[in-house]
Order: sequence, then C-alpha cells, then structure tokens
Amino acid sequence: MQRFLDPAVLNAISGLDLVAKTVVDGFVAGLHRSPDFGFSQEFAEYRAYSPGDDLRHVDWNVFARTERAYLKRYRGETNSLLTVLLDASNSMKYSSHSVNKMDYARFTAASLFYLAIQNQRDAAGLIVFDDEVRNYIRPSTRQGQLQRLLAGLELAEPRARTDFGKPLHHFQEFLRRRGLVVILSDFYEKPETIIRTIEPLRFHGNEVVLFHILDPKEIQPRMNEAVVLVDMETSARMEVTPDYINKDYREKIDAHIAALRDGAKGAGMDYHLLVTDQPLDGVLSEYLTIRQGRD
Amino acid sequence: MGLLAPWFLAGALAVGVPLYLHLLRRQTSTPQSFSSLMFVEPRTQSSIHHRRLRYLLLLALRLLVLVALVLAFANPYINRTAASASGERLLVVAVDRSFSMRAGTRLDDAKRQAVALLASRNPSERAQVLAFGSQVQVMTQPVIDPATLTSAVESIQPGDARGSYGALAAALRSIAQTVQTPIELHIFSDMQKTNMPPSFSEMAMPANVSLVLHPVVKDAVPNWTVESVNAPAQVWDPKKARVQAVVAGFGTAAATRNVSLVINGKTASSKQVNVPAGGRATVEFDSLDVPYGFSRCAVKIDSADAMPADDQYMFSVERSDPLRVLFVREPTDSRSQLYFGSALGSSAQSAFVIESVPGAQLQGTDPTKYAFVVISDVASLPEGAQNVLTRYVRAGGNVLIAAGTTMARLQDVPVSGSKISGGKYYSRDGAGFATVSDTDTSFAAVGKADQWGGVKFYYAVSIDPTGSRVIARLTDQTPLILEKQIGEGRVVVFASGFDNLTNDLPLHPLFVPFIEQTAQYLSGLQEREGTRLVDSYLQLRSAKEQAVSVEVIDPQGKRPLSINQATTATSFQLTDAGFYELKLANGRQDVVGVNADRRESDLTLMPDDVLALWSGKPNGGVETAGAAAADPSPDDAAREKKPYSFAWYVLVVLLAAALAESVLASRYLNTQREDS
Repeated sequence: MQRFLDPAVLNAISGLDLVAKTVVDGFVAGLHRSPDFGFSQEFAEYRAYSPGDDLRHVDWNVFARTERAYLKRYRGETNSLLTVLLDASNSMKYSSHSVNKMDYARFTAASLFYLAIQNQRDAAGLIVFDDEVRNYIRPSTRQGQLQRLLAGLELAEPRARTDFGKPLHHFQEFLRRRGLVVILSDFYEKPETIIRTIEPLRFHGNEVVLFHILDPKEIQPRMNEAVVLVDMETSARMEVTPDYINKDYREKIDAHIAALRDGAKGAGMDYHLLVTDQPLDGVLSEYLTIRQGRD
Repeated sequence: MGLLAPWFLAGALAVGVPLYLHLLRRQTSTPQSFSSLMFVEPRTQSSIHHRRLRYLLLLALRLLVLVALVLAFANPYINRTAASASGERLLVVAVDRSFSMRAGTRLDDAKRQAVALLASRNPSERAQVLAFGSQVQVMTQPVIDPATLTSAVESIQPGDARGSYGALAAALRSIAQTVQTPIELHIFSDMQKTNMPPSFSEMAMPANVSLVLHPVVKDAVPNWTVESVNAPAQVWDPKKARVQAVVAGFGTAAATRNVSLVINGKTASSKQVNVPAGGRATVEFDSLDVPYGFSRCAVKIDSADAMPADDQYMFSVERSDPLRVLFVREPTDSRSQLYFGSALGSSAQSAFVIESVPGAQLQGTDPTKYAFVVISDVASLPEGAQNVLTRYVRAGGNVLIAAGTTMARLQDVPVSGSKISGGKYYSRDGAGFATVSDTDTSFAAVGKADQWGGVKFYYAVSIDPTGSRVIARLTDQTPLILEKQIGEGRVVVFASGFDNLTNDLPLHPLFVPFIEQTAQYLSGLQEREGTRLVDSYLQLRSAKEQAVSVEVIDPQGKRPLSINQATTATSFQLTDAGFYELKLANGRQDVVGVNADRRESDLTLMPDDVLALWSGKPNGGVETAGAAAADPSPDDAAREKKPYSFAWYVLVVLLAAALAESVLASRYLNTQREDS
C-alpha cells in the first residue's frame, strides 16, 4: 500500500481524480475490511411511544406481542459535511524534493474528496485562500461535485502570502452548517493568531482538523556554509549561518509545531503534522476516525 | 637588492584579474529561496566574517602565485658579501708546485700556509685543493673533511714544470661552471713574473671567484743557472766535438763561476767564467771525449745559491763510427768528389767518410752498407747495379743524384726514372747565366743555406718534375732541385753538377751547409736530439708503426707507461727533469736529457700593480705570510659584494602557492557543489 501512497509516486500520476482514486482505493484495500463498515443503519434502542411521535417508527411486531407501542431508534443516519480550506500562498511552493507542499496538499484534498463523496456519500466543499478567499466551491452531493472540487484544486496555484485574519469572516459565512473542516496549510503564522482565527469555526459545532504541511528540509534543514535566504512570500533576504540553521532554527520550528499542536488541542481541534515525503494514509485514517466519531 | 629584468614587473598588473573576479563573484552569489524567514534571525555578522576569511585566503594565494611568477621573471637578486655567503661558498686552495718553488723553502712555506688556512676555515665549509705547474692537478674534490684536505696539501711534491697562472685561471673557469656557489680562491705561490701568460686576460678569474693571493716570498732573490747548452747529439770524432754553455745570473752581481763538463758522472773539464752583473757568459769546451754508445753529460756551475736544481744542464751524446757515403762518378771526373768530399769534411761533425767508385764498377757493391749514395753525373750505370739501387731506395735507402752534362744524354734519371728532355746552356758572359729564383725553405738543406741568389748556373738538365717535389727553380723555371719519394726511400736530384763547371756553387760558402744538411737529411741524422725541456712531447712512433711496443724509463727508473699505453701511445710528455731512456717503435734506443724551462730560474716577482689588477683589490689582495696564518679571510674579501639571484627560491614559493591554491579552490568548489 505504501507504494501507492508515496507522494513521489503520486506526483508522476497526471490528474487529481486518478491520484485520489489510487490513494483511496489503495488505502481502503489495505484495511482488509468492508468499505461499508460502521456506516449502515444500525439499531440503537427502543423508546416508549409518546403522543406526537411518528407512527412510522413504531415497531409493530413488538406491539403485537406486548400490546405496547415502542418506537425503534437507529444510530447515525445523518450525512457529514466536509469542507477543505486550502492555503495557496507562495510559501506552499517550497520543495526540497520532487513534491512541493502545494502538490502534497492537493493530493491530500483530492483524496479526502474522493473518500467523502464516493465512499461516504458526504457533501464536500473547498475554500482556497491566501490573504483572501480566492475560490469557494459550496459543499454538495450533487452529481459532478467531485469533478468540480478537483478542478478547483487544479486551479489553486500558490501566490501572495498567508493571512488567516482577513478571510476569517468569509469562512464563517460559508460554514453555516455543521460539519468537518479540514485546513491544509504550512501555518507560517504565530500559533496563537492561528488558533484565535480558526477557533470561531469550532463554535459552530464543526470538527476542525489542522493538517500542518511542511517540507522535510523545513523541519531539519542542513547547511554547510552561510547562505542568503529569500522569503518566498515577502522576498525579504537574510544571510544566515550554518550554526544558526542547524541549531536555533530547529529549536524554533519544533517549538512552533509544539505550540500549534497544544493550541489546537486546547481549542478542541485536531492537529496533524504532514511531511511531504511521507505517505498519505495518515490523513485518510484521521478523516475516517473523525467521521466515525460523528455518527 | 635589485632586479635583473625589471621590465617583467609590468606583469604585476595581472593581479587585478583575481581581484576583479573575486569581487564580481561576491556580487553575483545566488541566494536560496526559502518558504518563510519567520524563524530565521539575521546573524549575518559571523556569516560574512566566516565566508570572507576563506575567500580572502584563496584570493591571497592567487595573488601570491601571480606576484611570484612576475618576480621569477624579473629575476631578483641581492648583493651578498663573501662573509654572508660563506655558508655556501667553495674554498679553493691552489699551491704552486712549479720548478721555481724548489728554491729555498718556498714549497714548504706554501704548504704550511695552506694547511693553516684550511685549519682556520669554517668546519662546515667545503674546500678543494689544487696543485699547479704548467697544468693543474686536482688533489681533492670539494669536501669538508679536514684530514683529507690537509693530507692532500702535504702530498704535493715539487715539480719541474714551468708555472702557469693562465692554466690555473682556465681550471677555475671550468670549476666555476660546474659549481654554482661563490668560490674563494687562495693561491700560494712565489708570484713569479715569468709564470704570467702572454695575455693578461688569460689570467682573469670568473665573476664568482674572489681571489686572495698568498706570496710565499716578498722579494726576488739572485739566482745562477746554466741557461742553455749547445752540444752535438751524436759524436763521431770526439776531438772535433764542441760543447757551448751559457751561464746566466738573474739579479746577481758580477762574479766568476766555475763551470764543469760532467760526462757519465765524472768531471771531464772545468773552466772559470766571468759573468757580468745580471748577465750571461758563454763557456766552450773544445772536446767531448765520450765513449761509444750513449753518454749522460751535464754542464754544472758552482752557484751556491738557494736554487741548486737549475745549476746543471743535462744532455745526452751518442758516439758512433762515421757513416760511409758511396760516391759514384765518372772515372774522368775527379772534381766533383773533391768538392763534395771537402764540403762534407769541413763540417763540424765529420760524420761521413766518402768511398768513391766509378759508375761502371758499381756492379757488386752493396748500397745498404752506406748511409746514402751519391751518383754524380754518370753516363750510365750497369743494369744490375741500377736494379740494386732501385730496390735499395724502395727499401728505405736514399740517393743524391747530380745531373750534369754527361747525364743529359740519358733518357731518364737513374733510379728516379724522371724524364730528361735535354740540357740548357746559359751564357757565361754578362748576365746571361741563370740563378735560383724560387726555393722551398721547408727543405732544410735549402732553407738553412740561403743566399742562393748569388750562385751562377751555366748549365742545367731539364727534368720532367712530374711526380716529384720541386725544391728550387732557376729563373727560367727549370727545376733545379727535385725530391721524389720511391717506396720507403727518397731520391734527391740536383739538375746540375758538383764540378764547378756547370755552376759556381762549389765555390760559394753555402755549398758546405747545403751538402752537410743534405747529407744529414738523407742519412737520417737530423732526427735525434740530445736534450729537451720539461713538458715537451716525445714522438714514440710514426703512423706506420702501430702495435709495436715502446719503452720509457723516467729519471727515477720507473716505467710511466702502462702495457696498453706502451703499445698505443704515439707521444709521451716529459714531466720530470733528468735522463729518460727510450726504446722507440722503430727499434732505436735513445737517451734524452730533460731540463726544466730556464724561465723558471728567473725569480723576479710580479709587480704589485699587476697583482692588484689580478686580484681586483686596491692593495693587491696580497696577504703576508703571518697574516695568512692568523686570518685567512681578509676583510676586503668579506666586504666584497656580488649579486646573488634568488629566482629559484621565488619559483619554489610559486610552486607551493599554486599547490595550496589548487587544494583550497577544489575544496571551495566542492562545498559549493554540495550546497547547490
């Protein structure tokens, strides 16, 4: 399974639909379970009839044996709503190998969409943002929704810089229904700012998952001599030494990741670090776990 | 310090190239994109410092390579004193072992001073010992071992050769070409004036040789010598032999000297001679009563001076019976024999005895018993006798033919075979006679007997000169004297007579030396010399006498020639004074008296100005004997500055810098490749 979920392998596949199908089918097959597990209608309990209840839910077989009216109740019949917030800032173009962060985010989003629409019959939508909302595809289960979402992903080219504050009110406008909100970003912002910006989404009853996408060289960069670094979003230049990069920078990025994880957990959000040289199965597992918890 | 080729400094402008490239490279360094500088702090101070350190080192190495290259071409030098270069100089000690060093204790003094100089030198300094006379003898190679050097000096023995400062200078020029370091040459000599070469430039030393002179004597001393001896090498009649000796005094006062003639170790005669101050006097001994065979003779004087080695002059004399000459004539011709015999008999040596025989009676006479044969204007010779004479000549015999009016009737000259085309009569009246116009003076009999122009010729036989060497011609170009080589022998033809009828030659004074020299030439007497000078070469064999062993015994009784040399050497250099015994390739035995060149007896010193010019120092660069022992390195020599090029060291620096630059640049490039 790993081979089919390897980002480097996926990068060689043209078309996000095929990428998503490859990932999801490979992931599901690797589970050795039925794809329908846990999501069919299941009996939950009997409740005594009370006036006003819908007579269609009365279990008449029980009434015939006991002459008492009981209502038969089932578990989780509701459909989920998946909304993916994709960061399309310039920093997402960074790559130290064949797959940059934006591609990895596209693969991830496409796989989630495929899994949600094709397998779970969930509604799925997409918001592409940088310092403002650049594209919005309303969540839906209509025919052709998956193709629209994939097309939206294809068009999401990185540009500008990340700003969580500015498009926040747009998120709240778009996310009026409860559902699952997945944010794919490298989160180059202060952790408290990120949490403060995203936390209101949680108040609407949404499940919020932060997928922190980073390149391995962003986590553990290696330098043998001093170089001039250029910020991909601001074009600022800065000359750094190997000593700083190999020691201080790592400490800072680790502290940033830890702060973001702790902040997300404190705010009732899930946080996952995705490194672009790792397979995508972790993402899908996380989605299914959350999906199951909501039923 | 200076530069031998300063124009190459213009190449220093090339240092701008690496400067420009390094500055340009700094400006065009490629920055790396990074997703965010959120966690990066601008610690640029240490970064730039670190990079510039490495950068500047590479730049400095590249600049050093260029500067060293330019300097190497400019050929820098520094003026170094002899003292500063003492660690690298070569000390050369040259000791004079010429004949004049035998006077007094000159050689011992020279060796003692040389040993003192070697003892006081820097122990790590290389030194070389030379001994010189007419040639330079290398006693040691450049070494630092004091024992080797001292023993080399002690082993120098006095020689009999004439000293030559020119040969020493030539040897130093050769050494200076092979030794790159400066050379300090110390000459221990009596500074004899006669040892100077004809041209002063031959004494000039190379530029890297500093000369220090150590005269072993301060003033010239008077010296007596037997300068020369004129004595016959061969004696046939002791009563007619005479010995003349020249006694010379150099720097001497007028005195009377006792001169002795010593034969085989015994004094045969003594005479007193008055020699003027600083002049010469001749002594003559009227007889040389030597026994048959070789005798070792000498003329000695009682000089009582400091140089007894030149008080005798040695020569050898060979006594033998007179040589017989066969004189063939017409029975009616008595005049020719009279004149020819009188001429031979009046010579100083009286080496020849004439036996006359008519031409018709020549049959049965063996010509090999005679030194040579004279055929004087015979009408004919018996057929057998002519054949015998021809074989005699082909085997190495020599014949003198006088062709007068009688022989003009023949078709050919007897034995010679040259064609006769008749006789030519010249008028006896007025100026109608013929005279000699051209002579070949290389022929000794003609060269020594000059004044041929006064001889009148009234008749001459016209002989075809084809195949002959014409030695003299008459005014009408008629060959008068011809020489023809037949086999191993020679035939000399005189195209007139000895009878005083066809010419007046017999009445002229030159007739006697002409006949005497011709007789010596044809008999081979002229080849022997009883005395020679040291360093002269002795002919051991001719070109035709190969693979025949010769034998040489020197005055010490040793055989200086190896077996191989005895069979191959064509000449031998006489290096010692005394008597040499020889056995030549032609079978002859000989004894030669060898004497030192008497110019060595003139102990006059070189003038001070010449010494100053030679050594290149104002005071003449001359050290006293005491000063030499106390301080062998004079201050003048130490202060003398000479250019010393260190371009080679610059090249070494250039090579090292180039290697370091290559290593550093390759590391730098590898780092950049890894980063990219």
